[in-house]
Formats: sequence, structure tokens, C-alpha cells
Amino acid sequence: MSSELRAFKRDNGQWGLRNHVLILPLHSALSATARAIADGSHGAVAISHDWSGEIDNDLPRIIFTFSGYAANPNNFAVVFLTVGSDNESEIIASAQALGLKRFTNVALPEIGSMEGLRVKAIEIANQYCADAAQEKRVPAPWSALVLGLECGGSDALSGITANPALGVASDRLVELGATSVLGETTEILGAEHLLAARAIDPEVGKRIVAMVSRYEASINYEGIDIRGAQPSRGNIEGGLSTLEEKSLGAAKKAGNAPLTGVLEFGERPKTSGLYFMDTPGHDIEQLAGFGAGHINIVVFTSGRGTPTGSAIMPTIKVSTNTPMYEAIPDLIDLDAGTIADGIETLAQVGDRIFNEILAVANGQETKAELGGHHEFSLSRMYKTTVETTERFINAH
Amino acid sequence: MRKLLILDARDNVAVCLVDLEAGDLIEQDNIKIKVINRIARGHKIASKEIAKGEGIIKYGERMGHAVAPIAVGEHVHVHNILGDRLSTEKP
Repeated sequence: MSSELRAFKRDNGQWGLRNHVLILPLHSALSATARAIADGSHGAVAISHDWSGEIDNDLPRIIFTFSGYAANPNNFAVVFLTVGSDNESEIIASAQALGLKRFTNVALPEIGSMEGLRVKAIEIANQYCADAAQEKRVPAPWSALVLGLECGGSDALSGITANPALGVASDRLVELGATSVLGETTEILGAEHLLAARAIDPEVGKRIVAMVSRYEASINYEGIDIRGAQPSRGNIEGGLSTLEEKSLGAAKKAGNAPLTGVLEFGERPKTSGLYFMDTPGHDIEQLAGFGAGHINIVVFTSGRGTPTGSAIMPTIKVSTNTPMYEAIPDLIDLDAGTIADGIETLAQVGDRIFNEILAVANGQETKAELGGHHEFSLSRMYKTTVETTERFINAH
Repeated sequence: MRKLLILDARDNVAVCLVDLEAGDLIEQDNIKIKVINRIARGHKIASKEIAKGEGIIKYGERMGHAVAPIAVGEHVHVHNILGDRLSTEKP
């Protein structure tokens, strides 16, 4: 079916809904400079992070996050900033393998000074920005749209208003041939059986159950009482009492579509349909996983409110309750609280979310984009940080 | 406007759509509930008598269990229920 979607067609056949020039520092020491380069350029964006090339069990995950993020089809081009390590070369090679074609590596050792690096990177970024401005959106099939489903700061209305309304929009997009990806393993624990029952084949159902069990086992292994954090204090104030309750509400974002497949953190969905990706509950880390998995647009529902956005993926914020929407209108794009007040039906709000996704996909800027919210955080696995945590606790 | 939202016929809790005060009487959808304690919007109220250890059902699904007996009209939250999963409770 033809769509009203217009997107940027990349050389590798993928579709971008944005045309960013991304400044990507591959060492934490270059993070501040990356921001300065973006600010000094004609429209490039940058992320910053705290990774300084540490080699531990997380290395493959980190390499994959950066390379997937770089190869996201929303990027027109990438300017890597490097200090000259082998891991950085591996990240760039991995990004190329994932389809990144237009990039430059600005390496500090070759240039010799931070100021030189800054000037050189701005010059390259501006050339890319000028080239990017020549690119035109062209009619795109629905399969060009890869939607990420996210919630954060959930309250008891999340599972009744914003999440099921997003589910309505997601189902409609999946039906049309788009891809929709649900994340946050912590937040389907207790609802995985419902997703498994919708799996297109028993193998996919088994995988999602196994993915949650794996997470549950890792938490039990660490001996952590997750109930202190899931539900969080904010969730509890909002009326959520147990992790299962939060999960049953969170899973509503994925509507009722059949579950096509299950993805590891940052893995790219290979076909259209509804997918689940193994990501952490932390919103910004999970957005990094979505970016690495080539998701090109995100809808983020929230009960408590959040400024979170992404440098490369437009992120539409939907409030679960009207008082929160009215309190921070410059952060929230749409209000779904009207459902709880009997003003609108689920279907009506679902329609509004669908129309907003289409408008934003076609170029309309989100509140997070207008506000310049470019959050990024690497997701590290538990086990590598436990020792550090123990040392910290012992020292205090 | 409705004060309570019952999400599934199997549920033993309902979601409060407005702040409720102790003593409020709710009559809707063929149910009659006297509110026992103050309950904030979005929080849960027992729509059926719940015994200690019994499952808490919302969206037609089990979301935990009662750690104390819960009367119809009582606030259902972290003080009287616990999740079943990732529990560190001593048996």
C-alpha cells in the first residue's frame, strides 16, 4: 500500500526520517569538543559519553552501540573523533559493515592539537551539512518507518491512557507494513506470557520468555532486591504497586499485533512487524539501544514527565495524564490523559498519535528536538560494575 | 463521569479516576463500594474481598498477591500487596 510518508533514501537501501550530520566522539575526553564542534557548525548534532576505551566484558556491547548508532539511517554522515586506539578502528569498521558509507575519522594524533581537531572537524561537518541540504525527501513505503516504543516515569494511568493509545497507533502502522519495536526487558517482566502468546511461531515465544528469565536470573544472581527500583519511588507515588502491574501496563504500548521477532540490544529488525528488543529500563540507555538498532522514530509515554530526547531519533512525548501535560507543555507533544477524563476515546487518541508519528516522520520537529535534548548513555551490563560498586560501598 | 475504572470482569481491584475520600459511596456498573480510606487518583481500590495470599488481578492478569486481608473499598498498594516475581521475601 502506498503511504504518505516521505523520507531520505540511503545508498544502502535504508530510509532516514532525518538527515543528521553526527559528531561522534569515540573517547570521553573528546565529548566536550564534540559538543563544541556541533555548536560551531551549520546544524550538526553531537553526543557525549563517559567511555574512555576501557576493555572489559562490555567491550563488544559498546562497540556495537557506537557502530550501530553511527550507521543509523537518520544520519546523512558521521564525523568520528578519535584518539587513535584499535577499539576506535574496530568501531568504525563495524559501522561500515552495518552500512555506513559517508564518514570521516578526525584523529587527534594526526592533527596534534585539540584546537586543530576542532577546526578541522567543523570544516568537515560544514561540508557534510551543505551536502545534506541538497538531499530531498522522496515518497517512501511504510516499511521505511521503524518505530521505537518507550515509556518512562510511568504512573497508574500509563496502562490505561497513553500506552494502549500508542498500541492503537503501533498496530495500525504494523498493519500498514511498518516496523514497531518494544523495549525494556525490566518492564515486560510479568507480561511476557501475553507477548509470547502473540508470537508468530513457538520459537519466538520461547525466546521472549527466555530473555526475561535471563534477566531475572541475573538480578537474582546479584542478590539485588529490585523492588526498591522497580517500580520506582515515582511509579509508586503514581499508584503502581508491583513490577508486574507496571509491566502489564507497559506492554500495552505494543498493542495487539502478532510478535514477529525478538532482538538483542542494538540488533536491527530485519523485516516489518512488531519486535521486542532486550534493553534496560533506563530510558536513555534504552534509547541508545534503539538508535543502534536503526530505529528512526520514537514515541515515549510518560506519567511523571521527562525531557529526554535523542540526537538522531525524533522522540514524540505523550503524557498519560492532563495535569502533567499542562505543567510542562514545552516538553510534551501530545496528551492522552483525556482518555481517563472521558473526553476522548482510546481510538481517538490512537489516531492523534498515528497522525503525529506521520507528521514527525515527514519532518515536523518534536518538542525534544526544538529543545535540543540530545541525551545518550551507554548501557553497561551488571556484572562488570558489581565489583566497583562493592569497592565503593566498602570504602564508605 | 465515572469515578472508578474496572479494566476486566475478572479483576478484584479498580482504578480510581478521581481522588476518593473515606466514606465516599460509589455506585456504578452494578457495583456499590464504600471507600474505606483516602485514595489518590490512579491508585487502586479493592472491588472484591481479598484474602491474605490471594492474587491481585488487574487487566484480567495476576499482578501480585495480598500480604494482608483486604476489604472491599480499601486502598490496595505497597502496604498490603507484593509482586510475585523477583521476590526476596523469606518463605
